[in-house]
Amino acid sequence: MSAATSDVAQLTAARIAQRFGVENTVVSAADLAGYEVDGMRPAATVFAKSPEEIADLLKFAGSEKLGVIPCGARTKLGIGMFPAKYDIALDLSRMNRVLAFEPRDLTLGVEPGMRFSALAATLAGEKQFLPLNPPFFQRATIGGILAADSASPLRHSYGGPRDFVLGLEFVTGEGAIAKSGGRVVKNVSGYDLHKLLIGSLGTLAVITRANFKTFPTPSEQVVFVAAFDDAAAALEFCKTLASSPLGALQVDVISPDAAQIFTAHSDAEIALPAQRWNMVVSAAGNARAVERHRRELPLIAEQAKASGLVALGDTVQSMKVAAALLGRIREFPALVLIANAVATIFWIAALPSTMAAVAQRLGKLAKEHSMPTATVIRPHGLIYFAILPASSDAIAVGKLAKFSEAVFRTSDELGSKTRIEFAPTELKRAVNVWGASRPDFELARRVKKVFDPGYVLSPGRFAGGI
Amino acid sequence: MDKQIIHELEKLLGDEAVVSAREEILLYEYDGSVEEARPDCVVFPRNTADVSAIARISAKHGVPMVGRGAGTGLSGGALAVQGGILTVFSRMNRILKIDEENLRAVVQPGVVNLDVTRAVEHLGLYFAPDPSSQKACTIGGNVAENAGGPHTLAYGVTTNHVTGLELVLPNGDVVRVGGATCETPGYDLTGLMVGSEGTLAIVSEITVKLSRKPEAVKTLLAVFNNIDDAPETVADFTGRAITPAACEMLDGWTLRAVEEFVHAGFPLDSGAVLLIEVEGLKETVEEQATQIAEICKSHHAREVRVARDAAERDLLWKGRKNAFGAVGRLSPSYYVQDAVIPRTKLPETLRKINEIGKRYGFTIGNIFHAGDGNLHPIILFDQRDSEEFKRAVAASGEIMRHCIECGGALTGEHGIGMEKNELMPLMFSDADMELMRRVREAFNPGGHLNPAKVLPLGKGCKEVRIPSGAASLGIL
Repeated sequence: MSAATSDVAQLTAARIAQRFGVENTVVSAADLAGYEVDGMRPAATVFAKSPEEIADLLKFAGSEKLGVIPCGARTKLGIGMFPAKYDIALDLSRMNRVLAFEPRDLTLGVEPGMRFSALAATLAGEKQFLPLNPPFFQRATIGGILAADSASPLRHSYGGPRDFVLGLEFVTGEGAIAKSGGRVVKNVSGYDLHKLLIGSLGTLAVITRANFKTFPTPSEQVVFVAAFDDAAAALEFCKTLASSPLGALQVDVISPDAAQIFTAHSDAEIALPAQRWNMVVSAAGNARAVERHRRELPLIAEQAKASGLVALGDTVQSMKVAAALLGRIREFPALVLIANAVATIFWIAALPSTMAAVAQRLGKLAKEHSMPTATVIRPHGLIYFAILPASSDAIAVGKLAKFSEAVFRTSDELGSKTRIEFAPTELKRAVNVWGASRPDFELARRVKKVFDPGYVLSPGRFAGGI
Repeated sequence: MDKQIIHELEKLLGDEAVVSAREEILLYEYDGSVEEARPDCVVFPRNTADVSAIARISAKHGVPMVGRGAGTGLSGGALAVQGGILTVFSRMNRILKIDEENLRAVVQPGVVNLDVTRAVEHLGLYFAPDPSSQKACTIGGNVAENAGGPHTLAYGVTTNHVTGLELVLPNGDVVRVGGATCETPGYDLTGLMVGSEGTLAIVSEITVKLSRKPEAVKTLLAVFNNIDDAPETVADFTGRAITPAACEMLDGWTLRAVEEFVHAGFPLDSGAVLLIEVEGLKETVEEQATQIAEICKSHHAREVRVARDAAERDLLWKGRKNAFGAVGRLSPSYYVQDAVIPRTKLPETLRKINEIGKRYGFTIGNIFHAGDGNLHPIILFDQRDSEEFKRAVAASGEIMRHCIECGGALTGEHGIGMEKNELMPLMFSDADMELMRRVREAFNPGGHLNPAKVLPLGKGCKEVRIPSGAASLGIL
């Protein structure tokens, strides 16, 4: 029986509606279905519009020992373990304003419920952008992207949010309204508490404002596609490219099965050669820099025995194809979840030197376990390894759990840091998505105790049982 | 200090690695700031096990433990303000690993910043954070203070170049956070530790990112007759989406002081100069250099000179990096701030600083990281004159308040330390600081790791602290 149907939940829902106003609350079962996390349905959803309202809600939840999960567009609620308790969904989608955009300072302050796509359009008006470029691009919100530390292909050149978030304002699990960092591009005043919040899955605080450094949009871009016999050959090419002065905006190496997923979800013109590992490199800069890429990258590709190198981006039509392809790459986890509702997606932070070995051994492992998989490798240090099982019945889950454990073991042996980003709830009951316990989890629990001693926020979902 | 503590430390480290005689400690009473404080003893660990054992002794006896690298810090972060054991990392100065393929190096905290670059430059690599003291300062100190430098404009401060740490907790436990991979699942404890000024844990090993040297570098010197034109030019770079690798400004007064000392080639009759560097693909660098020169000229630069070779470039940078040494020759005392303001506010803020200086009767020099709005106004005064000293404190406070009021920050790269902790309320609310205080308590219960730093001791003081002995080493 889900929580919402129990008497206690109904009573809780009624009290929440009374306290926070009917117009700010959702209590009907049908509407709450959209807020389910791992099959658990909250008693109520509350829409907050200010830090003060959030503080009030969290204090109330703390005193009532309720569990609260903050959310925006709900695209990534599947990340993390199943919640230990979940009574209230705190919906931040109404906090969706740009609070400060200073194009001449290249700085930005924005509320957490702002959709990334809308923000990107605002920035584009000033020929600027934020290199977050997350999956679920259309719907994902700033708060969710930061809380999940969404993987962006642009990390290759711009780093992650920890490198361009200037500061955050937030409400702690205890209901304290606080901030850290600042709004200027350089600042080392006080502890960088905001770094803790990035990737914390809403287990420490609710972000109410994010301050970013923005970046000028490069004037020209070119996208190269080439095919290789295997991941190792593609990665060898990437290594040569990385040690050349050329540089790249993003680099993705795509397994044959991943290419199939892309092709199934796109216009016919992006058919990547089947049975081969494809590599997609995007480079940007001024016209002369891009021209040099067009001239020199094919030479590196030739040496690396790449076949069928294509450069896209010189015509409107080919730029459209390139944009569609980069869009599919960005959306890889989203497309996997559409292709297979019980998909399990591993997020593997690997050392560039071991990537080929990790890919090769995981490929072998998949064969041994007869598991359909799809892989996207970002040579700067991330491997997305998706498992697409045929069914989610009990036997299949047991098999999947065994395979998942083997994946953890294999990638960790090669010095990677591994977690499962998306997985069916059934698998989470058998496997900890955060992998083996680490000694620093004890320090993480100390942090949790400072921000959210009552374990009100997303309890049980994070690494270390937090 | 209790003789028993000294005895335990000597037993652990050997007699030669423990210094407690007053005359021998003298050197460790100072750092690059204007502060001074005497530790009870100074110890020199050789490895993590030593550091851990020192922490245990410090915890057992409840005496402070303060980490120190080269002592070049500018905010008193490495001073033992409440006495205790000053742990100096000069013997932990080994580069443990260079991993070319993964662009990582693993270093001990006592490794000198520039030595990392020296160890990898034959591979075409370097360590990006470049504080002006980089010939002396250590990576451990850089991590503690989250140090910056001129090139942070393009490449970020220390935190952007550290992926993992080995920590010694106050009770002596050793824990690793982060690692060599680009990310580690879980809370970003590495991000929390960098810049925490040794108040949460002692860092005993650091995994840093190495960067590839750019293919081309161009260094430009733009000379302005009118000082107001220089900050307008910088604001225009940002507005036109041009991010140089470095963009430094020296006003007329400062550049004359520097020129007499260093002979870098700064024109003595100019109102201000901008020292600008662009890096990257040669195609990009050429175009950016041309654009930058055009923008400078549109703001009435009378000359834009491009360094012809490495020697000329080095000389220009020598002028910049030795500026504080030059200023030190001109005044009995000076005080340097490190506030950051939004770049569009540069012209009005410089006018405001000038106005404040006039009103209080001081010469205030300006030499700073203009590209990211990181100011370093230098107030020259004579600390032996108590009235003048009071006015310097007041003028300094007024400048800082103005910077915060226009949306800025207290410090861009020097750290809060014991110099600006009482100013924290200008930027942070009681709730912000209470949260930071509780984070410190969670990692450093009892507070014996580097006490009296970062957070204010009293409430509502908000006073700039310019203590005695205000004659800086001038390394910035």
